[in-house]
Amino acid sequence: MKRLQLQRWSSSVLSPRARTVNRLHQHIYGQRCQSTAPPVQARDDQTTAIFAEPEVLDEQLAQIVKDSHTRRSQLQYPSPPVEAARQSAKLAALHARLYLPSRLPIETLARTLVDASADPNPNFNNASLATLGHDLLSYYATEHLICTYPRLPLTVIFAAMYAYAGPKTLAAMAREWGVDLAALPGGEVDPGLLQFQRLEPGAEVPSGTTHPTARPYESQKNWRKTVTSKIFYDDEFGDPLKGLKPSAAGVTTEQASAEFVRAVMGAIYLHAGRAAAKRFFEQHFLSRHLNISELFNFQAPARDLTRLCARESFERPVAKVISETGRKSRHPVFVVGIFSGQDKLGEGAGASLMEGRERAAVAALKGWYLYSPLSVRVPSAMEEPSALPWKPVHVDLGEVIV
Amino acid sequence: MPLRGIRTSTAARNGAGAFILQCKRLDFHYCNWAGSSKGMVAFLEKNLPAFARENPQIEIRVSPRPQKHPLIKGLYINGREKPVCVRNLDPSEILKKANLLKEASGEKLKRVKKPVTSLNESVRGIWSPYHGDLRGV
Repeated sequence: MKRLQLQRWSSSVLSPRARTVNRLHQHIYGQRCQSTAPPVQARDDQTTAIFAEPEVLDEQLAQIVKDSHTRRSQLQYPSPPVEAARQSAKLAALHARLYLPSRLPIETLARTLVDASADPNPNFNNASLATLGHDLLSYYATEHLICTYPRLPLTVIFAAMYAYAGPKTLAAMAREWGVDLAALPGGEVDPGLLQFQRLEPGAEVPSGTTHPTARPYESQKNWRKTVTSKIFYDDEFGDPLKGLKPSAAGVTTEQASAEFVRAVMGAIYLHAGRAAAKRFFEQHFLSRHLNISELFNFQAPARDLTRLCARESFERPVAKVISETGRKSRHPVFVVGIFSGQDKLGEGAGASLMEGRERAAVAALKGWYLYSPLSVRVPSAMEEPSALPWKPVHVDLGEVIV
Repeated sequence: MPLRGIRTSTAARNGAGAFILQCKRLDFHYCNWAGSSKGMVAFLEKNLPAFARENPQIEIRVSPRPQKHPLIKGLYINGREKPVCVRNLDPSEILKKANLLKEASGEKLKRVKKPVTSLNESVRGIWSPYHGDLRGV
């Protein structure tokens, strides 16, 4: 049996691969953390330099050295320089993939991809654009929900807002837009990658210092916070307002992706105007699928329905068995309807009389809360140039207070 | 707390509003020496600029792969990739392959049995045995 001669190839197997980048290469191109990024300021004439005349060679050598100096100065920046945006194929592809308006320059799109944790300078990161985009997203989503479903309870409106414009959805959208993440932020990274400082593995996710609100008795932690007070004191999802995030610790991928999507919205508004921003919202956010009837979580639907009928001065709801089968068997089914006078409000089938009644009450409540008028017009439609005079939309009282 | 909201996120319906092309990147590999890359080199010189101009939403990379057959590799938004070997093919056939990769969704190929797939509930509803006329036996 022949022995393996380890000496011949052991160096390449047993030791880590030697760096092919020599010191001259490092001097010219600088230290590169991101292997996929094309070298900035790379020129075609560098490759043909050896065939040229000596004087031309000197000029080109001077050019190479000059380029290497710009290259090294770029490496000092925490985010890619503005000139690099025009040379990024990823960025141009992203611009075209989202059908962004041509008035939105590619440099601004590059800026939306730089998170505040990557570049703390507010002139070069997306924080300001994201703030604007966040407000626009909240406004458009709120007016759509309230005008389309005027009777929706507040807690469900909060949940629907979270579904349309929450960070989870925005992060999923950034993924579905094909935005790749940079491993590390830096001046030499391809500007088409989303750049942010990642959290260390195992680090605790910073929840952000809670913003001091105007809510009275803030210090009383165990006091009940009413749902109505959340409109005034909390954010659009009914959560406590977050203050500034600690920038040194880094952010999660979800936070950075959400900031990027918000910043794109803000950038479109700034460069292409209100109409384009609204169109972008309708095409990318409102077109997503959400079944609002699945957002309800009733605790005591029969009681809610009784209070609702009392508030709307309907007759007191009465549950009646419409049909049943197998009452004495292992699998009985009762179809129960809830009637208010002669009108059937809802109907449900269950394995027991109580279950049937609860389901019928849920169906009746959903039938009331999910009412939607036929022709919906939102307030922002008045911003169009030739808008018809505004007719007030019907917004109901909302849920019953039990 | 009488009524709570359940937090979910919305599901994408590509094409219902905006349409996002699922092909993210196309890599073209060729060999300068080998005969099987002859059509590929001609394609890169003649057809590729027009193809790239027509499809600005795709990032295109061209790189040599010496001593190997020419290859087109598509990278998709769902993270999968699809390589197609184009050895000994004409430029027109390579263009067809590139279009095939462009139009693919990146999913694994599977047989589609139903003509319509939808996230919405059926309009007609599900048949219920407890409704309608009860027939006497």
